[in-house]
Amino acid sequence: MILEGAIIYSNLLVLLALGLTLTYITTNVPNFAQGSYAIVGSYVALTLLKLFDINPYLSLPVLFVVGAVVGLITYLALKPLLKRGASVEILMIATLAIDLILLGAIGAYSEILSQIVGSTQAKFVFANLDFTLFGFKGILFVSTFVIILLLIGLYLLLYKTKFGIALRASMENPSLAQTMGIDVEKTRLFSWILSGALACVAGGLLPFMQEIVPSTGDLIIISIFAASIVGGLRHISGALIGGYIIGLSESLITYYLSQAFGTGFLVYGKVISLIIMILTLLIAPYGITGVDWRKVKKMLFTS
Amino acid sequence: MIKVKNLNAGYGKLQILFDVNAKIEKGKITTVVGPNGSGKSTFLKTLFGLTKIYSGEIIFKDKNIAKVPPHQKARMKIAYLPQTNNVFANLTVEENLKIAGYVLDKDKVKERIEIALNVFPELKDVLKRKAGTLSGGQRQFLAMGMALVRDAEVLMLDEPTAQLSPKLAEVIFEKIIEMRDEFGLTILLVEQNAKRALEISDNGYMFVSGRVAFEGTAEELLNHEKFKEYSLGITAI
Repeated sequence: MILEGAIIYSNLLVLLALGLTLTYITTNVPNFAQGSYAIVGSYVALTLLKLFDINPYLSLPVLFVVGAVVGLITYLALKPLLKRGASVEILMIATLAIDLILLGAIGAYSEILSQIVGSTQAKFVFANLDFTLFGFKGILFVSTFVIILLLIGLYLLLYKTKFGIALRASMENPSLAQTMGIDVEKTRLFSWILSGALACVAGGLLPFMQEIVPSTGDLIIISIFAASIVGGLRHISGALIGGYIIGLSESLITYYLSQAFGTGFLVYGKVISLIIMILTLLIAPYGITGVDWRKVKKMLFTS
Repeated sequence: MIKVKNLNAGYGKLQILFDVNAKIEKGKITTVVGPNGSGKSTFLKTLFGLTKIYSGEIIFKDKNIAKVPPHQKARMKIAYLPQTNNVFANLTVEENLKIAGYVLDKDKVKERIEIALNVFPELKDVLKRKAGTLSGGQRQFLAMGMALVRDAEVLMLDEPTAQLSPKLAEVIFEKIIEMRDEFGLTILLVEQNAKRALEISDNGYMFVSGRVAFEGTAEELLNHEKFKEYSLGITAI
């Protein structure tokens, strides 16, 4: 039961961290609005459910498109700053501003939706809409399926297509990629569109495992950043590794601490993520994927 | 092939090139030499669109391409090979060669990769290896092979022999000659090994403090009094 919840949470965290890592690699923007992207997805799914009676699982393709548009708009908003060569700090503040705008917009929208449907929509869950299979929650299968689909899709895109190789080339060395005739701008745009799309899909699944309020994104962003940083912000695979490390640790450690010291510990789940992040930064500043494992192996065998 | 008229360029507000005029002739090797910080590499970067141009013209095929972005210049069959980081370390050799032909169609890429592998047979055995694991010489072969895949008409090489052993550097010089003679490439070369570079060149330019100090045929430059002093290290010019 606890492991089930931890895996579901980790799957969703991977989706969110992947988007953050992608946009950081391609544009150097630490996107603090990534959590709120997810909540946009949650509210779009809620709207489709309340107004058109569409099951949130069936609304995932719509969320993908909506997220893509949100990602695109964010990139276009940041583009003037990127063009002027804005520092990481400025870009970070800009995404914080976008996050605040989204937070306000989601809050206002929840009020409007409440008026339309005639009951408060400021907080909601989809858990009651989920199915069960072999005694497990449906969200476990759906979120795992989404991750597998995503990984296969990403692998085929990045390693088997011309655009994918161009995308990897642009991530590694944009100025050299330009000399090959690659339009680096297109690859940047693509990463923001994909990032937004993945976050909104994760947002559509999130209410199956936790209660959503307009500010939920600002709480999840801590775990998203921790996942990306622990895995390594310079490698896409870092999001996958970091997502599972943070997701599983946050869920399991918090649970066992609450068992030992009381339920009061449950509210400090994010502290676990932050502690793991700090420890990783101290030992491996570039995250797990940034570690030269051959060197480590050599060191261990020679000592 | 390329005419440069009154070119002023630099990085942000820092001007490096001052009123540069030059002519790069078709099917010939033109070498730019000069002391450190004279603006040789910046000249190449500027021609490719990687710096800020304040004024001046770069005429290629009767068109001013000064404002054309780098990725479009690559499509105009102009190739630029940076001095460092000139291959994608995380991609395999094969992927590097493929990505070099990004603007070409699939069949053409195949054909060009075959040509590149014939000129650089050393790469055949390492096709599946990541470029980051290659030796310095292999990397340089790959970078030049990538330039060949691009099916370029103009090839701009920024110090292709830097950090290579004299023996390997000589191989690179021979490959450059081969690229001119066998494929008719127009080559613009920036080299620290000025004497050897001019020996294989048709024309040359000497840059000093971001300006063309003197120009002429490679032979003229080699016999120029100032060049002799520069190459012997007698004067900073």
